[in-house]
Amino acid sequence: MSAGTRWVLARYARAEAVLAAARSLREAGQASLDIHSPYPLPGSDQALGLGRSRVPLLALCGGLAGVATALGMQIWMNAIDFPINVGNRLLIPRPALVPVTFELGVLLSAFAIFFGMMGLWGFPRPHHPVFEVETFRSAAVDGLWLSAEVEAADVERVAEALRGTGALQVEIAPEVEA
Amino acid sequence: MSPPATATAAARQAIEPAPLLPAGLTDRHINDSLLDHVWNPRRGWWTLFAIALGGTGLLVMGLGVTLARGIGMWGNNQPVGWGYGIINFVWWIGIGHAGTLISAILLLFQQKWRTSINRFAEAMTIFAVIQAALFPLFHTGRPWFAAFWLFPYPSNLGIWPNFKSPLIWDVFAVSTYFTVSLLFWYLGLIPDLAALRDASTSKARRIAYGVFALGWRGSARHWQHYRIGYLLLAGLSTPLVLSVHSIVSFDFAVSQLPGWHTTVFPPYFVAGAVFSGFAMVMTLMIPARKYLGFAHVVTERHLEAMNKVMLVTGMMVSYGYLMEHFIAWYSGNPYEQFVFVNRATGPYRWVYYGMIFCNVLVPQTFWWKKARTSLAWMFVASLLINVGMWTERFIIIVTSLHRDYLPSSWGMYYPTWVDWSIYVGTLSFFSLLFLLFLRFVPAVAVTEVKELRHEMEHEAAHAAGAHR
Repeated sequence: MSAGTRWVLARYARAEAVLAAARSLREAGQASLDIHSPYPLPGSDQALGLGRSRVPLLALCGGLAGVATALGMQIWMNAIDFPINVGNRLLIPRPALVPVTFELGVLLSAFAIFFGMMGLWGFPRPHHPVFEVETFRSAAVDGLWLSAEVEAADVERVAEALRGTGALQVEIAPEVEA
Repeated sequence: MSPPATATAAARQAIEPAPLLPAGLTDRHINDSLLDHVWNPRRGWWTLFAIALGGTGLLVMGLGVTLARGIGMWGNNQPVGWGYGIINFVWWIGIGHAGTLISAILLLFQQKWRTSINRFAEAMTIFAVIQAALFPLFHTGRPWFAAFWLFPYPSNLGIWPNFKSPLIWDVFAVSTYFTVSLLFWYLGLIPDLAALRDASTSKARRIAYGVFALGWRGSARHWQHYRIGYLLLAGLSTPLVLSVHSIVSFDFAVSQLPGWHTTVFPPYFVAGAVFSGFAMVMTLMIPARKYLGFAHVVTERHLEAMNKVMLVTGMMVSYGYLMEHFIAWYSGNPYEQFVFVNRATGPYRWVYYGMIFCNVLVPQTFWWKKARTSLAWMFVASLLINVGMWTERFIIIVTSLHRDYLPSSWGMYYPTWVDWSIYVGTLSFFSLLFLLFLRFVPAVAVTEVKELRHEMEHEAAHAAGAHR
């Protein structure tokens, strides 16, 4: 978020209405739109033109890193750095390496997913200008909201455009000290 | 409306008579009714909390005695070196499995009914795994050395854990399982914590829940990653949960001991884990849905579906018993055969018959719809199955160890008062954590119930449009 921008928020009664409003504003060239809903709205990605999530890629990288770490760790520790001879069995017994390799792959993949998402979202971020609007709190309960981050000069124009899309209410987030 | 469509609809009605959610619910009502137990603690919560806290004192005392006087305070001795410590470890880990099954596997199979119970079951998983982890930790005798023995970190001694040992696989499996379950649970909680934050009336609560909600704004950019991330975590948890109890079973199956050295162990352990876990979900859910006022989202249909899962997994467990006995006979190995004869006729035979009664016979009642829909019976049955699965682990561990090869080294195992204190203590500690969970966190995944309601509404509108 750059300095000097303001947030304009509009609440809608139905899922179709908020998606239609997002589409029409986006077609009119409005950037930095977002939809806020208490549950995932099917079609919101398309309405906002969001691309594919990068989370699957992160998961794959995490998983591969886990597998490589586990194999490297087991082979290096038990066969190279301190070879443990158990009844003259193989130093690198492939089946015996499977459990730890699998578990560490899953663990690092899960870390990549969870912390990757935190990074993509910029979490934790308990403060946000939209929270200054008291009625916006319904976005986590039952409200469907459309938000736009705009330059201070454009606030009135965008608010007017949102009123024109059949919003139940339009709010402008007060300016907060950054 | 065309006649075939009517017939199909009527047939569907007959198969699925009870809807997952009652008609006419709004998001606001779902929100208010499911968060109510957080704002207005139920009567008797403090009493239950005090009882659980007292029981946790028993745990602290039992563990304190173990630390102060040594592992000799437990009943373990030659020839039974794995007594209550490992019985309870396997029992608690198994209970945890139902949570992951409900939250991950049923999600992948698109079983919509899981939505009302997944949060509850996942919390149960996490708390059960905490109890489970206590046992092997204290069974080492010197838990302050456990990290040094178990985790591969560079130390002055210059040696590493032996990765050929199933016990070290267990460390990785259980710690991964706990961590991934916790992340999965917390990720699912974030939107609900935001709902709590935004529905809270006092500033202190708003700040507290705001911190844990991490700044969730329900943005499409949040949901975009959330949806796929949640699904991927479910996809990872599914093989993970199967691996965990398989690896626990390797602790036994990889050894040479008659009664343990069996290839059927991994699938049979996983089925048993799910079986006992569902029983524990039922034991907790039947009183909780009444106590917390969740009967409108955890309907008769949910309970019936869980009873069906118990019937299926109970049959898998019974099949495991059958195969164990058959292979013992078929192997022609006299030691193997003796173990199974000894189970049914030896000094622990009453535990064995208790196991057969609870795990094989009791779930058979769920063939009848009357049993599947009777709250009283399913509660009793779930308690019996919990007991039955505990006796199963007792049978596997104690009867296999107490009479193995040489009659001169046979012996008996009896738990001590310290064993009992720790076991009852973990039950209390588990209840304590669960009560805290019911007090501070929505016990039903509010967001997912809203999403389900939205989907059902959408489908109903679609169906009405198609039939017009």
